[in-house]
Amino acid sequence: MNAVWDWGSGIVDWAVANWSHPGDGERGVWPLLVEHARLAYVSILIGLALALPLGLACVRWTRLYPPVLTGVNVLYAVPSIALFFLMLPYTGFSDWTAIVPLALYTLVILLPNVVDGLRQVPEHVRQAAIAMGFGPMRRLLTVETPVALPVIIAGLRVASVATISMVSVASLVGLGGLGQLILSEGFRRQFDAPIVVGIVLTVLLAFATDALLVLTQRLLTPWARRDGRRGKRRHRATVPAGEATAADAGTDPTQTADSGNGARPWTS
Amino acid sequence: MITFEGAAKHYPDGTVAVAGLDLTVESGRTTVFVGPSGSGKTTSLRMVNRMVEPTSGKVLVDGRDVRSQNPAQLRRSIGYVIQQAGLFPHRTVRDNIATVPLLLGRGRGRARARAAELMDLVGLEPSQAKRYPHQLSGGQQQRVGVARALAADPPVLLMDEPFSAVDPVVRTGLQDELLRLQAELRKTVVLVTHDIDEAVRVGDRIAVFRPGGELAQYDTPERLLTHPVDDFVESFIGYDRGVRRLAFFPANHLSLREDVVLDDQDTVERALNTVDTAGEPWALVVDQRRLPLGWVAADRLRREPSGVELGRLDLTAYGHTFDVERDSLRAALDAAVLSPAGRAVGVDGDGRVLGVVSQADLGGAIWSVSG
Ligand SMILES: Nc1ncnc2c1ncn2[C@@H]1O[C@H](COP(=O)(O)OP(=O)(O)OP(=O)(O)O)[C@@H](O)[C@H]1O
Ligand SMILES: [Mg+2]
Repeated sequence: MNAVWDWGSGIVDWAVANWSHPGDGERGVWPLLVEHARLAYVSILIGLALALPLGLACVRWTRLYPPVLTGVNVLYAVPSIALFFLMLPYTGFSDWTAIVPLALYTLVILLPNVVDGLRQVPEHVRQAAIAMGFGPMRRLLTVETPVALPVIIAGLRVASVATISMVSVASLVGLGGLGQLILSEGFRRQFDAPIVVGIVLTVLLAFATDALLVLTQRLLTPWARRDGRRGKRRHRATVPAGEATAADAGTDPTQTADSGNGARPWTS
Repeated sequence: MITFEGAAKHYPDGTVAVAGLDLTVESGRTTVFVGPSGSGKTTSLRMVNRMVEPTSGKVLVDGRDVRSQNPAQLRRSIGYVIQQAGLFPHRTVRDNIATVPLLLGRGRGRARARAAELMDLVGLEPSQAKRYPHQLSGGQQQRVGVARALAADPPVLLMDEPFSAVDPVVRTGLQDELLRLQAELRKTVVLVTHDIDEAVRVGDRIAVFRPGGELAQYDTPERLLTHPVDDFVESFIGYDRGVRRLAFFPANHLSLREDVVLDDQDTVERALNTVDTAGEPWALVVDQRRLPLGWVAADRLRREPSGVELGRLDLTAYGHTFDVERDSLRAALDAAVLSPAGRAVGVDGDGRVLGVVSQADLGGAIWSVSG
């Protein structure tokens, strides 16, 4: 028991002692945390900025989707380490070496969500928009995208957690924020405090980011708050069409169109 | 006026959705497209706002070929109510209704004011303005759908099975609303349904489609019921068309019997006198305000002590009544058929009994209008 306590307080002591170094802004745990968050967030935002128009295009021109999805999946199959090293000759030790591959991974995870979210927009809603006189682009941007938002944000939650944890791998090329605690310092000193601090802070950062996204979703889609049924989709959140229609059924008491050949009491 | 001139839709897979439709829809009237599933009703309707382009022939609105106009602009000038309402889930009721005014570039303030007007017109509470569609019942959603279609005050309103997703009671209510709105607004309405009762009820003219996308008959509801052109139309409108046709004759010509309507304070003795004089096997008991209480049979009266007041007896339920001024012979007949006494109770607008009519007397009245 005492041994565990000592181990724990040793780690906290180490973290406090190394949190930051006044006078040297480069060293310490805090700057690494900031770098980690910066690399992750920039990558996620770029990934999102790419996935949205690409997804919209894939829905607008359906024949685009299969080749794009294949291409993007092939990218996903390339080990991240390899990508970081491949980037080195072009971007050197700048942030971009980490950001470019990470943004691509975000894109890979997000794209199917954007496409599926848009495809799940109920057909009658789409038809109604056409009948009201929305042009194709306007319809996509002001009707279909907002309606797909819960699914897109669900994908973003998965992508952001994955990206935050993957930033650490970039420490192999000298970037990687908290990953450097785990890799360089941890290895060099044969000492586990930096590793534990690195892991704990990464997890906390992921949690905080996820909470932020949940909050964003609540603010952006107040209309979707029906018993938390939406937005809790894990993984490449492609919900089968059947479930989507079942969710609709909650909105519209559906077609029990009895075709009315029974004689009803009649008043004229 | 909407004119279909040989309008046809053939799909590349060989399906003939509509086979050369020639039809003129009159302005300011309600025209109903009715027919079995797959007979091309929706396809024909969508040719009007270019959601479907005919493969041959053309469609004219007020003499102008719809293809001469930009589709999006054309659609903003034609109201469309889609099955299941098709409301935008991410917009409030008010913003759903304001959709087309906003697309037309009217300011947000004006569009919302217009939405409030329309909510009132279709019978929605102002408190529902800020709700989202999933917070409404099916019937309320349909009302929002109708309000949204009317928001830009289009002269033409297309409705594709607007009331099929709600239960029969709500549906009848919505049909009444449509009749009321139409009496006020006089739009050129084209409504698609596969419910012949709905067609007869709301239509000024009915186009019956047959499988293969052909027009089988185009007529007024009454002519359709009296003179179906062929076996298909006859079986589609149902073999009870004779009874349905009675819906076109008002009940106010019926001669009602008042003598067998008795007060709940009358005694059994007095009642027996009355039924014996009238030669009627049943008497109707009403309360002091002349609201119906129930039937009492002559046989039953003979078994009761003569001094008892009628109000103290167990009476036989009177079923449903018919409104003499507003209802049709069909309603009267229905009330008589369902009544345990074989007699229908005719009431005024406040539900007060005016008299009763037996099945036999109804038969005479039906005979006289059928000639
Ligand atoms: N895109 C399409 N490709 C091929 N066939 C089609 C297409 N759209 C509709 N059809 C066919 O055209 C025919 C008419 O369809 P339509 O939707 O007009 O029927 P409807 O009378 O409205 O039927 P319902 O009462 O079931 O709505 C049907 O046989 C349908 O299968
Ligand atoms: Mg249809």
